[in-house]
Amino acid sequence: MILYDAHHLPECYAVRLFAALVGAPLTLVPVDVYPGHEHRSDDFLARNPLGTLPVLVDGDTVWTDWQEMLAALALRHDAAWFPAHDPALIGWLGMARDLAASLGLARLIDTFGAPGDAAAARARADVLLDEIERRRWFGERAGQVWVMPQAHPTIADVAAFVFIALCEDAGLSLRDRPALRRWIDRVRFAPGFIAMSGVFPPMTNVTR
Amino acid sequence: MTNLATGVWYAIAADHDLVDGHVYRTVLGGHELAVWRAQSGTVQVWDDRCPHRGVRFSLGEVVGDDLRCQYHAWRFGPTGACTFIPAQPQMKVPGTIRARTWPVAQSGGLVWTGIDPAGPVPDLPPGTVARAIPIARPAAEVAAALVALEGLAPVVQPLDAGTTMVRAIATDGDVPRADRVLVALRRRLESAV
Repeated sequence: MILYDAHHLPECYAVRLFAALVGAPLTLVPVDVYPGHEHRSDDFLARNPLGTLPVLVDGDTVWTDWQEMLAALALRHDAAWFPAHDPALIGWLGMARDLAASLGLARLIDTFGAPGDAAAARARADVLLDEIERRRWFGERAGQVWVMPQAHPTIADVAAFVFIALCEDAGLSLRDRPALRRWIDRVRFAPGFIAMSGVFPPMTNVTR
Repeated sequence: MTNLATGVWYAIAADHDLVDGHVYRTVLGGHELAVWRAQSGTVQVWDDRCPHRGVRFSLGEVVGDDLRCQYHAWRFGPTGACTFIPAQPQMKVPGTIRARTWPVAQSGGLVWTGIDPAGPVPDLPPGTVARAIPIARPAAEVAAALVALEGLAPVVQPLDAGTTMVRAIATDGDVPRADRVLVALRRRLESAV
């Protein structure tokens, strides 16, 4: 499968990370979004008229929605990550889209000069982070390790992680959100985990 | 920084905050702290700053009885002394390389520290530790508002001059109720500005 990719975008990182977690080989094709605006070129728009990244291609099949890509990879490689029977999955994936539109937007405004109201985006992100922290804290009390009740991690963890792990780029902090920090560590220590700029990998390479 | 009283024990974490391998991060009166539990069970409260290059210890991880810094993987044992420098594996680490450690006490399901704390840790009634709630108001104002809350034994942790963490024991064990009460208090105090 070919992933048209921009390293700095959380949505692209989500697909790279999830592919690594389930052992799906990807051929990465970097797209010069910033500063080259290659995603507005005729060539790219022919592939994805929305002009968004990532784009995943497998033969004649083209995916342009990053969450749909996570589901497609899960169905192909390890369906335990995609508990489609549980309505909570819809809620959590929606929460991740809300994070994209708030935390993700504030990050793009602050670090890449994207247009928008950073203060409003941050305020919305603060509300979402508070609520996810509250759910995680009570989840921990109930013995729930991941965002969904399943014992196995889900694509919802990946979808939320890629924004929350980068929250300092958006001028937000996890300092007073300890349950989120513990969950972030749990994702980082998952087998196959890969990092991106701004996300620390676990130090598995250090033997002592 | 804020006016942090000397001789006072402050609750800065709950026992349940300290999970295996993880470094808990908080701040007390402007002092950034890293809090962790060694494999042996002892709890450590340190300045959240590696003495080597100043990176936050709370970005690191706990390995056995050591905390390992994220930046160069230097390891520090429960006394704060550096125990291993990966780039100099044969070297005996000089005893002067130390993390700055804080006093620690554990009581009532909470972890306590302070600057030269004197006497015993405050005695809290039995119950269940509720979720800690940060409130963007000064500690004195938050403490005054906490007096009237029924079923809660609260303590305050000044984070910085304008922010306070409220930790509480739910004396009836009803943690969801305690959470709703404290979050409502937060809304009330923060919107009253």
